[in-house]
Amino acid sequence: MNPSFKFLLALIISLEISFESSLATNFLIISISIIYLLIKHVKLKNLLITLFAPLLAAVTIFATLYWFAPQPNLTNALSLSSRIYVYTLTIYCVAVDTSAEQMARSFEQNFHLPSKFAYGVLAALNIVPQIKQAIRQIRTAAMMRGIYLGFWSPTLYFKAILVALNSAENLAQGMESHGYHENATRSVIIKIPIKVSDWTISIIILLIVNLSLFILH
Amino acid sequence: MITSKNLTFSYDKQNTILEQTNLSIPTGEFSLLIGPSGCGKSTFLKILAQLYPKYAGTISGSINLDNLQTAMMFQKASEQFTMATPREEIVFALENLQISREKYPTRLQQAVNFAGISHLLDQKINTMSGGEQQRVALAVLVAMDVDVFLLDEPFASCDPTTRKFLITKLAHLRDLGKTIFLSDHILSDYVGICDNLFQFRDKTIVKLKEKEKKLLLHTNDQHPTYSFSIPVHESSCFTFANTEIKQNRLLLSQHELQIIAGKTTLITGANGAGKTSLFEALTQMLPYEGNLTFNKQEICQLSPRKYLRQVGQVFQEATDQFINITVLDELNLSKKQRSDNFFTDQKIQQALVNLNLDQLLDQVVYSLSGGQQKKLQILLMLISNQKVLLLDEPLSGLDQDSALQVMKLLRQSQIDRKQTLLIISHELTNLASWCDYHLVLANHQLTYVTK
Repeated sequence: MNPSFKFLLALIISLEISFESSLATNFLIISISIIYLLIKHVKLKNLLITLFAPLLAAVTIFATLYWFAPQPNLTNALSLSSRIYVYTLTIYCVAVDTSAEQMARSFEQNFHLPSKFAYGVLAALNIVPQIKQAIRQIRTAAMMRGIYLGFWSPTLYFKAILVALNSAENLAQGMESHGYHENATRSVIIKIPIKVSDWTISIIILLIVNLSLFILH
Repeated sequence: MITSKNLTFSYDKQNTILEQTNLSIPTGEFSLLIGPSGCGKSTFLKILAQLYPKYAGTISGSINLDNLQTAMMFQKASEQFTMATPREEIVFALENLQISREKYPTRLQQAVNFAGISHLLDQKINTMSGGEQQRVALAVLVAMDVDVFLLDEPFASCDPTTRKFLITKLAHLRDLGKTIFLSDHILSDYVGICDNLFQFRDKTIVKLKEKEKKLLLHTNDQHPTYSFSIPVHESSCFTFANTEIKQNRLLLSQHELQIIAGKTTLITGANGAGKTSLFEALTQMLPYEGNLTFNKQEICQLSPRKYLRQVGQVFQEATDQFINITVLDELNLSKKQRSDNFFTDQKIQQALVNLNLDQLLDQVVYSLSGGQQKKLQILLMLISNQKVLLLDEPLSGLDQDSALQVMKLLRQSQIDRKQTLLIISHELTNLASWCDYHLVLANHQLTYVTK
């Protein structure tokens, strides 16, 4: 499915369930998402992390609305706390078989987002492993000179920021040296098509969500 | 013809790089730019690539590119990629140039064949070795098919075979009508290929006369042979036993090996063979399988804080070494760690003068040139005095004079303090004559050789 369509679909669903609370719809979306992810053969470990990580936020909302509210409402509390899972799981579905490159290309071609935004984000993503490596290296370099940098050490972050700034500057020059110019037209070599199926699938999913929001209200 | 008229460039008021330079670079020819570290070679290339003064500095005078399209390869290839893999990067560059989808496959094929990177095409760039990244960077320029290739020390991390291969390939591009303009510190392999030799002199660039050029290139084109001994019954510092090192792929599988204490061992091997990864395993940055011991203690079980005070490394990228901001801060930090009186304050001052760093004490380390950073980095690691020092390409980016000064310091320190030095280097001219042993990394094996 087209990455931009997937993204937009997740966004619309998230917005709709934010305005209209329906516990059944939430659970419907959550179960479909999990089934989809299982079909896509995601690693069980990653799925479990995605289920556990938002637990704190979900429990906090539930606690506020159920245990500490003057007039506790179980449905309401469950509905609001399960929303957290709708958000995380739908976005996981978007990300599961879309690479950052495909996403950027799709935004550029299908949404006509400025290319500087799409490729700026991509380039920034590619700096992340460099920053991680730099942090590992700076800790080693420091120990070689008798200094221990703990994760609380400002030097570590100063250095990481410095690496990021320096890379950003070089990257801008690097992009330009590879022929990139802001606002210039670019050709399309790898096309991200919008198929009829993208439209039909999106409309069907939106219809189901909306019907369920109204019927299972 | 690319011409400059009264070209003056400066980063700030005190820091003029070029003054009133009048120059013409013939198009369709192979030109080489030489000059000491920090003189402004990279700056000049970036002016030609039209990156400066847009990104830094101020310019006066004019430069005429003759309506030719230029593209540049940076000194640090790793910082030039927008995308994650070579294939993606080539697509990105071709889209920028508005190349149609139909032309893409041929362009890609040309670039891949040129640089010999078909096996790297879909590998993540940030997992590649320094030499592999340089080849990928070159491939991107070939795919772009620009008129003028600007290359900033394009072979600094390449092994001698790759270097020779790429120079011949570039000569072939020149024969097809491209203009090649590159900077380099090593002058070998250019005889019969380089058409024009340019040299930085007193803030301007001059073209050497045919006779001077020939003399310089010929005297530097010798490939002397070196001889090394094979260690027998000597006390070892590192011992390998069924050791395996992997990073994406198997790099080293060593049944047994000893690295000798108190001696200098040279390590060579092709690009991507795993030389830097070997150092990473020795400094606890990369895990290994099997046994790898330092003075009979398993390295992975040693406390890093204590271990790394005994085993230090001079990283391939100088900036990775710096912890402070100015040159003076860095020096003071290393001075605090002195554990013997080899480096007295006086001796450090002398070394700074010899390395041409004495006027730069207040400068931010990141604003030094590539060569200046390298010199400072090596001095710092020598002052902090480890028993074992691993040096990854200590001479890359250094001009002949700087290289000699650095070697002198290294050698003195090694002899006087009986340090164990392990040196990865492709540049053997200044180095090989005084290394005790020579290890070659090939086919996942380190082997002592006599040549």
